[in-house]
Amino acid sequence: MTLADAPVITAALEVRDLEVAYVVRGVDREVLRGVSFSIAPGEAYGLVGESGCGKSTTAYAAVRYLPDNGKILSGSIHVAGDDVIGMNAEQLRRFRATEASMVYQDPGASLNPSLRVGRQITECFTLLGQSKDEARRSSIAALARVRIAAPESVMDRYPFQLSGGMQQRVVIAMALACNPKLLVLDEPTTGLDATVEAEVLDLVRALRSESDAAILFIAHNLGVIRSMCDRVGVMYAGKIVEEGPSQAVFDDPKHPYTVGLLRSLPRHGIRKTDRALATIPGTLPLIGSALPTCVFVDRCPLASDVCRTEVPPVVQIGPAGDRYTRCHHADRIDDLEVESVTVDIAMLAASEHNPDVLELSHVSKTFRQRGNSIPALVDVDFTLAEGETLGIVGESGSGKSTLARTMLGIETLDQGGDMALDGAHLQGSTSQRSASEKRSMQMVFQNPDSALNRSWSVRRILVRCVTKLTGLKGEEANTRVEQLAAHLRLTPRHLDLKPRQLSGGLKQRVAIARAFAGDPRIVVCDEPTSALDVSVQAAILNLLADLQVEKRTSYLLITHDMGVVRYLADRIAVMYLGRIQEIGLTDDVFNGPHHPYTEALLSSVPSVDGEATLRIRLDGEIPTPANPPSGCVFHPRCPRAIEGVCEVTEPPLLEVAPGHSIRCHIPIEELRILQAK
Amino acid sequence: MSDLGTSAVTGPEAETGGFETEIGGSAPGPVISERKQARRESWRLIRRRPSFIIGSAIVSIWVVCAILGNRITPHHPLDFRAKDSSGLPALHLSPRAAFPFGTDATGRDVLSRVMAGARDVLKIAPMAAILGVLLGVIVGMIMGYLGGWVDLVLSRIVEAFLALPVVLIALLAITTLGRSDWVVVGVVAVLFTPVVARTVRSAVLAERDLDYVTSARLRGETGRFVMFREILPNVSGPIIVELTVRIGYAVFTVATLSFLGAGPPPPSPDWGAQVSEGFRVLGAGIWWTTLFPALAIASLVIAVNLIADSVQSVLDAS
Repeated sequence: MTLADAPVITAALEVRDLEVAYVVRGVDREVLRGVSFSIAPGEAYGLVGESGCGKSTTAYAAVRYLPDNGKILSGSIHVAGDDVIGMNAEQLRRFRATEASMVYQDPGASLNPSLRVGRQITECFTLLGQSKDEARRSSIAALARVRIAAPESVMDRYPFQLSGGMQQRVVIAMALACNPKLLVLDEPTTGLDATVEAEVLDLVRALRSESDAAILFIAHNLGVIRSMCDRVGVMYAGKIVEEGPSQAVFDDPKHPYTVGLLRSLPRHGIRKTDRALATIPGTLPLIGSALPTCVFVDRCPLASDVCRTEVPPVVQIGPAGDRYTRCHHADRIDDLEVESVTVDIAMLAASEHNPDVLELSHVSKTFRQRGNSIPALVDVDFTLAEGETLGIVGESGSGKSTLARTMLGIETLDQGGDMALDGAHLQGSTSQRSASEKRSMQMVFQNPDSALNRSWSVRRILVRCVTKLTGLKGEEANTRVEQLAAHLRLTPRHLDLKPRQLSGGLKQRVAIARAFAGDPRIVVCDEPTSALDVSVQAAILNLLADLQVEKRTSYLLITHDMGVVRYLADRIAVMYLGRIQEIGLTDDVFNGPHHPYTEALLSSVPSVDGEATLRIRLDGEIPTPANPPSGCVFHPRCPRAIEGVCEVTEPPLLEVAPGHSIRCHIPIEELRILQAK
Repeated sequence: MSDLGTSAVTGPEAETGGFETEIGGSAPGPVISERKQARRESWRLIRRRPSFIIGSAIVSIWVVCAILGNRITPHHPLDFRAKDSSGLPALHLSPRAAFPFGTDATGRDVLSRVMAGARDVLKIAPMAAILGVLLGVIVGMIMGYLGGWVDLVLSRIVEAFLALPVVLIALLAITTLGRSDWVVVGVVAVLFTPVVARTVRSAVLAERDLDYVTSARLRGETGRFVMFREILPNVSGPIIVELTVRIGYAVFTVATLSFLGAGPPPPSPDWGAQVSEGFRVLGAGIWWTTLFPALAIASLVIAVNLIADSVQSVLDAS
């Protein structure tokens, strides 16, 4: 077997049969159930899997950073041949100072907010025994190495004066200070915007060629892993179920779990009109629960009796000996069915010319803060047809959420704009709207934990909403809630539970049920799946699509996930600094020619399909709306800006094709030629 | 057809541990323990803490004394007078087997008076604390939820109140309004209100921006409904802690007021009043008439704080 034959000495990280448990109230709860893998120097190894599968625990165990209740039960961890588990406190300190580094998800939390950046970086070098002057020189070099343009000035700043991307660069510079043999990156780009994420990933990629550090890369985003890692391990319930070169694993998965994971992603540009997304039935087993011999058997479509009685064999795949899957039925993987087209949705798309439900004209929203006016929305116009989904995309700070809140009346729009529901004028503030208007517009929030009152039962949440929106009372309201719940595939048992007793996907179902309590005309979905795992995301997206067909509800879908918006949206509006930069049918926006900002957004998404994408890169971050750039607000970051024009006048939003408008000075034909390259 | 995807609910055996420790996890893990189970669990955890056991043991002793009063005191706290062998009043007897806490200036048994004195303080202090917390919750809720200028104005008033010396104001109020149990309860409650309001306000601020509040507003709920039905249950933890802490302070404040003469009139065995009677003869080496009632006050305050402390640490942990 390759695993056993891998030469121990040369591996930068060698993990063998690692079993880790968390002690919860005196009981050991097993999280890792025998994890083995090794990373060669200079190699990047990715761990993927849904939350709770143990990928972060593996990473923390590798550098012995487990929380206090974490306990290594058995197995071995060697970094460059040194036994990490056997180290005493002093050895461990030296090991972390010189051999291994870690970069965490939130760069803001990794830096000390009250110390200047320079002091924090030089500390890394003085720790290695350098004098003050040496350390300062090394620090400047380290910052230059992570492509920070003016290292001296950055040294004098505090972390809060740097943008998220810059902070993460500083953290990476600190992690590389000791020239580590092992670099652990734990979701390093998860909190960052797509364009910034692309920038950071580019940097890590460039640094890889300069250093021979082995990288252990943890991410839930399969696209990121594919674009960054040589090899990948797919984790499920504390076991690596499949391992191999990332391209091979993602293109031709050999474990039923990997297959399910990949099929539940909206990819290859599929739309809701093509087919429903595949889902993985059941839920992740709880940490510490007793599992059958094959950890995935309860959710596996290929499962048979042998899966419950015998430990699945490690099946080598291909002649190279670099791939394996832990499955009894590796030979039957190709039998897994692909689900078919949903007919209803296909029909919906065919019936066009639906009446407009909502019309926004010249809607602006200006916040006032300490005497400054901050325009968060500027002159937004659009219509939303019955049964249509309008996707809103853009970086954080682009005004997506303000748009939703203004539509719903949580924020009141500025004078001069107008909103109309079914042709009738709509009051700006929720409190001034009529009961039927309130009933017409509801919202599904990003985070169900925050959206559901944690001290109410599901039944109380839904009954209250039904009563308030439809006027039904008592038994009638209760009956309606039960129908509603059944519709969203919630069982009566779920109704009497508190939100925290439900899984993330079920919670989001409750939140959707609440939004649909009064048969709304429009539902605003603000990142409805970004807090969920991919297999759950697929079920929720399918549910939203089904509900739409049946109820003819219109959606305003806010998301940063290009796959999701492409799957669900009929039309897409791209926002930047409170302005719509481009709006059009989904295919038009994706296929182009598109606004240079749309182009940048699309090319910044690392794809799990590995399709060649045009890469145009944006510098810097979105400017503050309080002080927007002159002319076209996008010009300072636009790689295609025309000097002398773009910084002077703001281009109008012009219709370049039927139903497709772009706010750009560059003529559409020229954009077509530029983007065809 | 799409599949259920996520259909299972875990049983009560599910615990929180693993998910909290999955530090870098990208999304919230599934299902956490049953709420009732969790509440029972925290109660079990509280009961196991030594500080809670000691605290509640002391409090129970005083509660028993307060309820049974004269029926369990060795002597009558007001009428009994100790006599020596010649039948004369035995004043200021030092502690001995017959009078473990000694006797006071008029020959009354200090132990009996200390036991009986529990009633006065346990009648007034918890009531004052409960009323103060109630008012504080209302004011704090309004400040936190409405925000803006309402919060600004109320905050200034609260700060002004906090700047006043509690005991001085209480004395003034009692002198003006006349002394009765209700006046003491009312005055102490009003003086506690600003402190509680500040605690509640900050808890409400954290809740106010959660989406369930937005959702309630979207369906047209009134402010009162959102404040007291939606938000209140979610800030009950800090309020319970505040209540226990306030009871401790109330014991202390009520005793201080009695010491300063704003307590019940002389024959009453009130602790504060006993200390105040006793300490005049402290210089003459008669320490027992002061020490024992003072110890009683201290033991009750400390016991209540021990309970508050264990409640807080268990609520913080969960």
